[in-house]
Amino acid sequence: MSTIAPQFRLSRFIASLFDIIFWVLLIFSLVGLPIVFIILFYIKLPIINGQLMTPYLALTWIADPSQTVPIIKSLIHTTFFHVVAFPGFGFAALLSAATIYVERKFLAKIQLRVGPLYCGRIEGILQLMGDGLKLISKEIIIPAKADKPIFWIGPLLFVGTAGAFVSLIPVAPGWVVANPTVSLLAVFATIGFFPIISVLTAWAANNKWTFIGGLRALHQMIAFEIPLILSLLSVVILTGTLNLSQIVQSQQHYWWIVFAPISAIVFFICILAELERIPFDLPEAESEIVAGWLTEFSGMMYGLIQLGTYLKLYAFAGLFTVLFLGGWNGPMVWPPLSPELITHGITIGPVNVQIAGLPLFSQPMLNGTLMFVIKTVGVILLILLPRGVFPRIRIDMLLHTGWYKLIGLAFVNIFIALGLLYAGVLGPGGLIQ
Amino acid sequence: MVGETAGTFSPVLLMFAFAIVATGPALILSRMIAPRKTPSPVKFLPMESGQVPKEEGRTHFMMQYYSYVLMFVVFDVMSIFLYAWGSSLLGLPKTATLPIIAFLGVMFAAFAYALYQAGRKNIW
Repeated sequence: MSTIAPQFRLSRFIASLFDIIFWVLLIFSLVGLPIVFIILFYIKLPIINGQLMTPYLALTWIADPSQTVPIIKSLIHTTFFHVVAFPGFGFAALLSAATIYVERKFLAKIQLRVGPLYCGRIEGILQLMGDGLKLISKEIIIPAKADKPIFWIGPLLFVGTAGAFVSLIPVAPGWVVANPTVSLLAVFATIGFFPIISVLTAWAANNKWTFIGGLRALHQMIAFEIPLILSLLSVVILTGTLNLSQIVQSQQHYWWIVFAPISAIVFFICILAELERIPFDLPEAESEIVAGWLTEFSGMMYGLIQLGTYLKLYAFAGLFTVLFLGGWNGPMVWPPLSPELITHGITIGPVNVQIAGLPLFSQPMLNGTLMFVIKTVGVILLILLPRGVFPRIRIDMLLHTGWYKLIGLAFVNIFIALGLLYAGVLGPGGLIQ
Repeated sequence: MVGETAGTFSPVLLMFAFAIVATGPALILSRMIAPRKTPSPVKFLPMESGQVPKEEGRTHFMMQYYSYVLMFVVFDVMSIFLYAWGSSLLGLPKTATLPIIAFLGVMFAAFAYALYQAGRKNIW
């Protein structure tokens, strides 16, 4: 009794294998190779060490590890690497994932709980991975009368917009994905898309809870957008530029939180409101409207919304760091990396480690990233802190806070900035350079 | 020139597209490996905390805060005007601030009136 089908014949089997190989080769040579060469025609090949980097040369260099360094060095300065890995999506997603774990442990410690404990043995460090696997293996249920296309693309749009926001945050000198001359205005434009996405998905779900939550999100984000924009005006007045990298460079000697403390406080409160975090989490109030505009999202769609939320959290914390806390400026604590490391390796006591091409990044970049990450993590912890401490506020109190008090306070700091400028304390030719 | 200025924004769009491309497969993968059992009509009803849902989800819903929305339309534009002034302030003569102060005065008056109207909740 064999499990092979009764019609099976080895010769036919081998013939079919050859048939498949023939068709694969034919399609590859007729379609695949032309596509490769058409793409290569449009890609501008870089010149490395005075040689044009052709695919053959690249493969030759990759085969020799000591010559791979220039290729990697040229790769990490491309837009592709910026978008995919370092100041862009990979870096932000890593920090966001760490934030989710830290938030759970941090809030647990505040409220004398334990938090995630078992997953991964060491203090539940693999909890996030487990949650991700759980979410991806859950069924996605879409309500029968929902507007399906909009409902499907809603989470994707949310993540995409959060990614676009992340791309404008400078991390280290010269390390920013997008650096337009008016990047602060680009930030405002990107923030403006979030309420639209909330209302669209809320309306598409055809549910009363999501609809109420979406309208609340709209009101909240609109009410806090004006004080958010006005609170940053004092920084712009003091620096005279709208470029975030230049704003960081202007804080080499003192941070703007020294001269614009009221703006910093207003901006911080607006961050909490824009992120829909406690005490401003009315759009997702569990005890009132189930989960607000997220009610009908299930499985991985909810996971994507959460990822977008935490990307947005990182971006806002980074923006606070860049504008008020001096961005990448700080004491140079990173050890210098001499060029001899490439040839001689590292000598620590008796051990000599030969790693070709270790100093891929320069010392200012590594130190700047370290300073930026330290400050940003501090701001993120401050944003997380109210969730363990404060209750939720009422919506009319929220709107009253946004429209009366925060706008007034933002204007107070604008006039302080104007006074400092015209009294000759700051600015070109001022007392403090 | 215009193309160069627009080109500096292109990484923002690239990042937007990459975030979607990188996370979109998670939805497809989830659709492939997740169980899809017993299609009963009850499962696809809107969530209303256990009640049988009545009527449409997309209803008229009075938020009662129209004055704030109207103010937003005016003051969002106003704040961007202030940015045009604030970012070029260091290169302007000091007398150029006076018209802006006058503009702020007009705006504050309108703002106070709008907030007064917002406080009178019975008329909305």
